[in-house]
Amino acid sequence: MNKHPVSLTVNGDQYDLLIEPRKTLLATLRDTIGLTGSKEGCSTGDCGACTVIIDGKAITSCLMLAVSANGKEITTIEGLSSNGHLHPLQQGFIEKGGYQCGFCTPGFIMASKAYLDEIPNPTEAELRHALGGNICRCTGYTKIIEAVMSAAEAMRNA
Amino acid sequence: MSEYSVVGKSVPRVDALDKVTGAAQYGADVHRPGMLYGKIVRSKHPHAYIRGIDTSEAEKLPGVRAIVTQADVKTGRSVFATDKVLYVGEPIAAVAATDPDIAEEAAELVKIDYEELPVVQDVLEAIKPSTPRLHNDDTKDGPARRVIKARLKKLSDDESQDHSAEIEELTAKFESLEDEVYYNISAETHTEAGDVEKGFAESDIVVEDTYVVPRVHQTYMEPHVSIAEADSSGKVTVWASTQGPFAIRSGVAGTLGIPLTQINVIPTTMGGGFGGRFGVALTHVPAVLLSQKTGRPVRVQMTREEEFVDGRPAPGCVIKLKTGATNDGRILARQALAFWDSGSVSGASIGSTIRVRGVYKIPNLKVDAYGVYTNKSGTTAYRAPGTPQVAYAGESQLDEIARKIGMDGVEFRLKNMREEGDQIPAGAKEPKVGYKETLKAVADAAGWWNREKGPNQGWGVAIGDWTNGCGPGGIYISVHEDGSVRIFHGSIDITGTDTAIAQIVAEVLTVPYEQVTITRGDTDSAPYATGSGGSVVTFTMGNTAKLAAEDTCQRILALAAERLNTSADNLELKDGKVSVLVQDPPRSISLGELAAYSLSTTGGPIVGKGSFARKPSTPALAAQIAKVEVDPETGNVRVLKMVSSQDVGFAINPMAVEGQIEGGTVQGYAWAMMEEMQYDEKGNVNPGFVDYRVPTSADLPTVQSVIVEVPAPNGPFGAKGVGEPPITPTLATMANAVVDAIGVRITELPIKPEKVIDALKQNGK
Ligand code: FES
Ligand code: FES
Repeated sequence: MNKHPVSLTVNGDQYDLLIEPRKTLLATLRDTIGLTGSKEGCSTGDCGACTVIIDGKAITSCLMLAVSANGKEITTIEGLSSNGHLHPLQQGFIEKGGYQCGFCTPGFIMASKAYLDEIPNPTEAELRHALGGNICRCTGYTKIIEAVMSAAEAMRNA
Repeated sequence: MSEYSVVGKSVPRVDALDKVTGAAQYGADVHRPGMLYGKIVRSKHPHAYIRGIDTSEAEKLPGVRAIVTQADVKTGRSVFATDKVLYVGEPIAAVAATDPDIAEEAAELVKIDYEELPVVQDVLEAIKPSTPRLHNDDTKDGPARRVIKARLKKLSDDESQDHSAEIEELTAKFESLEDEVYYNISAETHTEAGDVEKGFAESDIVVEDTYVVPRVHQTYMEPHVSIAEADSSGKVTVWASTQGPFAIRSGVAGTLGIPLTQINVIPTTMGGGFGGRFGVALTHVPAVLLSQKTGRPVRVQMTREEEFVDGRPAPGCVIKLKTGATNDGRILARQALAFWDSGSVSGASIGSTIRVRGVYKIPNLKVDAYGVYTNKSGTTAYRAPGTPQVAYAGESQLDEIARKIGMDGVEFRLKNMREEGDQIPAGAKEPKVGYKETLKAVADAAGWWNREKGPNQGWGVAIGDWTNGCGPGGIYISVHEDGSVRIFHGSIDITGTDTAIAQIVAEVLTVPYEQVTITRGDTDSAPYATGSGGSVVTFTMGNTAKLAAEDTCQRILALAAERLNTSADNLELKDGKVSVLVQDPPRSISLGELAAYSLSTTGGPIVGKGSFARKPSTPALAAQIAKVEVDPETGNVRVLKMVSSQDVGFAINPMAVEGQIEGGTVQGYAWAMMEEMQYDEKGNVNPGFVDYRVPTSADLPTVQSVIVEVPAPNGPFGAKGVGEPPITPTLATMANAVVDAIGVRITELPIKPEKVIDALKQNGK
């Protein structure tokens, strides 16, 4: 199959790739670039495990073709902590026990980041609604919500 | 709790950083040089003869490297279907190609010639003589025929008298019970205690109902995946996301006839399992076969859709249940007849039917359970396998009785609960348990005693019990010159168990938790560890860790005695250093100094080991109360409050324990209200998250967890297994709350809005 030139900036690094048009952004991040932090839980856009941030918005990367991400700036879970400092969301998930198996965690953290960057002071109900596109099978969500709420506070106070 | 410094504390987990930075390596994150991608060719029919398999077109596709079928399985063990398929999704062949998309295309190009057969999906249909047989024409007798048969045998064995009249009469009756000749039976179990007929006769009230629980999928978020690499010497390495690497090793070895020494299973981080991640059939065996054939590493990864059609979910169940009680609230008898939907192979959970006895003093009990073949994939464990299904029936029926005799649901349960020394129906004597404490704790925390409800609101209570399993395990500990401690083991971290092990070792060795690290070996390098299922890990590996740490302690004290020139019993290990007890001036030596010293002694480095097999475990109770509000227009049920208490023995890490309670409760909620794998004559019709809805954060409020601690005599620091109990009551908790709100009982789960609307109509609302 013909490959297309695709240029992606991922976590600040630029990648110039040749990609088959049928490959998703998720497959490209994971298999071509080797950033496996974004997870594949369904490949149909229904679980949020593959969530990355593109131009400030949370995107399910399993639904986006790599060619349509051409020229975009992408942040994945691997790009969230800076200079060895954890992002408040990462800190929140650790402190509140917001993960168990952890498979959903990168997606939850990225979805939460995009949301809190937009809405820094949500109510619990708003947050529960906003994270409705992400599935966690382990935690029952109680501690995820606590983690994100405490991170939101930390981010507001930062 | 303050007597301990590390256990009993909510320390952050040992794997915290890896989990929040994306660094944790799950199955599909493993990439091997030159790796090929496998894809399974699956049956498109639920029941059919295979008249031909043509792989020629697929082989021609550029990039395809190998196709395997049953002919490639030298042991003859069944891996792929050959002449008959029994469900949609059943593996027929597997393809390996240089790219996942090519593998998928090639799998589509494998041509299967089917001759379709009639299909049976419903258990009550499947047992009838008129329905298609999946395996053979064998039949089993139903409960009444069994009773007559036993009586007939007794009569004909008794030669002292002439019983011919009775024998004739009973034989005629036996033969007339045609609907008790069951077909397609995969397994059966029967248990009896006391005399149920007598119990029902003495009861003031007898309630009988049929409860239907759907088949649900564990839906661990990481789909099954395996990477296999067979080298030229025949050595096979398997990277597996599994609950039991040693089970995978023996499973692959047995299926493919490979010596144990020639297989190494390297466990990856696991993205959830809940009982569903022990088998080798789904990805591991096909990956090994493809790797053996190509001489290259092969990854076989299931899609979510494949998970639904060929995973091993929890069986659905139809339970006919009858309970008798007195007007003052004593349960006298209970009888259950259960049909478990095994799918195409003999399956899980049927043995749990006995748990319909709950934790009550039921003097007369009779349980008959059958596994039934249907045209679906096989089943396996899902969190407290079988118990949520039967607890739903049992606790729903108790709720009915409590309503009918006008007794409070909590009081009624408390009145019948067993205590230490009571007879367990068809079991032993009850050990020391915390049943009543746990139920009272949830009632208090939920505000049950002065509960109020508005219109369309309802409260529900239910309980469920489970006893953690136990299994063999080994742990090594090594103390290093900087005073740090490293643990080596081979058990899979199941949501925090590594952390519990590290906490236990830190506690015994009196070192800070941060100084303890943990290394998981593969099956070549780690001592044996039982699989991480059945809530075994904290109990088993916790005990193992404690033994290993105590062994290390012995070595430390002996070494310190040598170094400090005193006897070991004049020494104390505290705060990470060994001090002389009776000596002026006081002297001490730190663990680090001792470890450094050990390197120059004849004894050598400080190493300890622990090995543990089994000790009796203690039952644990989970109790829940929910408050709901039903929208009479839409039939939607909204949870206003969900409180879940559990006797955990001792919470080694309270935050992790709460997480288990919350997660299990929500899984139970989902089973009650949303989840259901649906089948028709074309197979599973909802194989994805759009049609098989699992709850999101938007569906539920916060779950309030209440930890109760009645120590288990044999648990490490009194701990019990905590993973499974919390899912056991929730199906009934929700069902009972809905009844309280709408006045009608829905006996077929899940309680979807349309069923609520129907029930309201039925009730004239
Ligand atoms: S993998 Fe992308 S939403 Fe599930
Ligand atoms: S922590 Fe396992 S799926 Fe969320």
